[in-house]
Amino acid sequence: MSIKVSDIHFSYGKIKALDGVSLDLPQGAIGLLGPNGAGKSTLIRIMLGFLSLDRGEGRILGYDIKTQQEEIRRYVGYMPEDDCFIPELDAVSFTSYLGELSGMPRQEAMKRAHEALYYVGLEESRYRKVETYSGGMKQRLKLAQAIVHDPRLIFLDEPTSGLDPQGRTEILDLIMDISRKKDIQVLISSHILPDIELTCSYVVILNKGLLAAQGEISKLKEIRDLYELKIKGEAQGFLRKLEEMKCRLEETEDGLLKVYTPPGYNRQEFFRIAAEENVQLRHFIKSQSSLEDLFADAVGVD
Amino acid sequence: MTIKEKGYAHWDGEFLDKKLPWWPITRYGIKLTFRKKFFKLFFPMSLLPAVVFLAGIYVSERLEDFKFLFRDSVPILQIDPAYFKTYLTEGFLLFIMVIAVIFCGSGLISDDLKHNSLQLYFSRPLKKRDYFLGKTAVIVFFLFLLTLVPGLVFFIMKMIFAGSFKFFLSYPWLPLSVIAYSVLVTAFFSFYALFISSLNKNRRYVAILIFGIYVGSDILREIFYDIFHNHYFSLLSIRGNIQQVGAAIFDQKTPYPIHWILSLLVLTAICVLAWFVLKKKVRGVEIVK
Repeated sequence: MSIKVSDIHFSYGKIKALDGVSLDLPQGAIGLLGPNGAGKSTLIRIMLGFLSLDRGEGRILGYDIKTQQEEIRRYVGYMPEDDCFIPELDAVSFTSYLGELSGMPRQEAMKRAHEALYYVGLEESRYRKVETYSGGMKQRLKLAQAIVHDPRLIFLDEPTSGLDPQGRTEILDLIMDISRKKDIQVLISSHILPDIELTCSYVVILNKGLLAAQGEISKLKEIRDLYELKIKGEAQGFLRKLEEMKCRLEETEDGLLKVYTPPGYNRQEFFRIAAEENVQLRHFIKSQSSLEDLFADAVGVD
Repeated sequence: MTIKEKGYAHWDGEFLDKKLPWWPITRYGIKLTFRKKFFKLFFPMSLLPAVVFLAGIYVSERLEDFKFLFRDSVPILQIDPAYFKTYLTEGFLLFIMVIAVIFCGSGLISDDLKHNSLQLYFSRPLKKRDYFLGKTAVIVFFLFLLTLVPGLVFFIMKMIFAGSFKFFLSYPWLPLSVIAYSVLVTAFFSFYALFISSLNKNRRYVAILIFGIYVGSDILREIFYDIFHNHYFSLLSIRGNIQQVGAAIFDQKTPYPIHWILSLLVLTAICVLAWFVLKKKVRGVEIVK
């Protein structure tokens, strides 16, 4: 396991950012999900050693997050969320500079900088000063600097934020290529659920500093079944009884009722309750729950 | 060509076990300073005083050859510790040093704060110490070119022009004084510049502050001295404090009748304050509590 942390606690003053988070993550692309303020960026920053733990322990690529931060940073790439660059440098110098700071020999760093920029599609503008880059180009440049030293693990913090649809697709293509074909583990923090669903097979969901869910996306989706219903008659009693049975209900604008049933729920119950409440079931389909449903379920929002 | 077709090859090289992990920061800092248009103009001019003083050393050994320049008697141009002190501690060189610091130091941290690049540095195997060393070394490089290098060159050239070691035998401690003073003044200006650079994200404001505080402290001293006629107000002046300590290092009379240790304490206190602020301001992530 390349990322293993246990009982991580961290507070910004009185505000608890992480409260006893434990993770044991497999290889591959991992999505780190959560609403704003859930603790995603804090967790990444702790793993990089930017922030010191209040309590807990962990190992990244086998290195202790408390005592071996330099080793971790040597083998980990980090693409920050914010726009960040070093002014007055062109993209090649910028990327090679950061390669050198990772410990690469100067000439090797320069060679790799060209390769990394070529890989992310910035070869045409690699001699342009980075402050003249557009938002999409800056995102690519941030990815280039994260891979210049050939890391074994990359932390990507909101890699598609502020991108137009085409830029977003291209960055996601790169991420998928890196994680699936290059044998580099990727941890993507995002609140854009389709991005995570597209690139990752495993997901960690944080909410208010707590671990809300983690696991294979496909398996997590199976935990709660989703049924789509249309009913006729007095719905109040029917809905109340479903809620009493721990079902989560969502009503769409077109009158479709989405019912997330708890594990082990027998679907015959729908018909029994409908009969009891004198309600007609006009439409009944077992549907496929999405990552959005899973996320909403985990963080407790509609 | 699509992105995927371009390929990505793993790097088969080995990371260096660098003894000076901060060196790339310094190299890039120096390189970027030399790229500045006005600095290219300023830098050769900043070396002019050193050239003039070096010429003075040459003339002092060849006074007879330059007799035609003087109407009556040949003046006495004595090369001694006072001569070195004059070059190194007088206002003109300190002013040049402040301008050099503005060019090379004002953006060192403020630019990183403005462009969020601290997280890029600290996501690399760098310690905070390495970051500071790398940034400080940029200032040290330029200030040593104005202090340590000319000071030692004067000493060596004096012996070469004289063709003897008499000067060395007369003042064997002088090279140490040059080194001690250069280290002190460079360390002070490094802390001073980095401290102010860490206070604001705009390098122009930082430049104004570096210059303003230096000049302002001198003006403040003048004002208070004129009102109270107390020499202890010279402790308010950065220039005054440096000159006090400089005079002591070169075993000369101090410009103000107060103990030079007090000036050293003031300079040290500013450095300590700067260090604490730097430690607080410079980190991989901005923490909003």
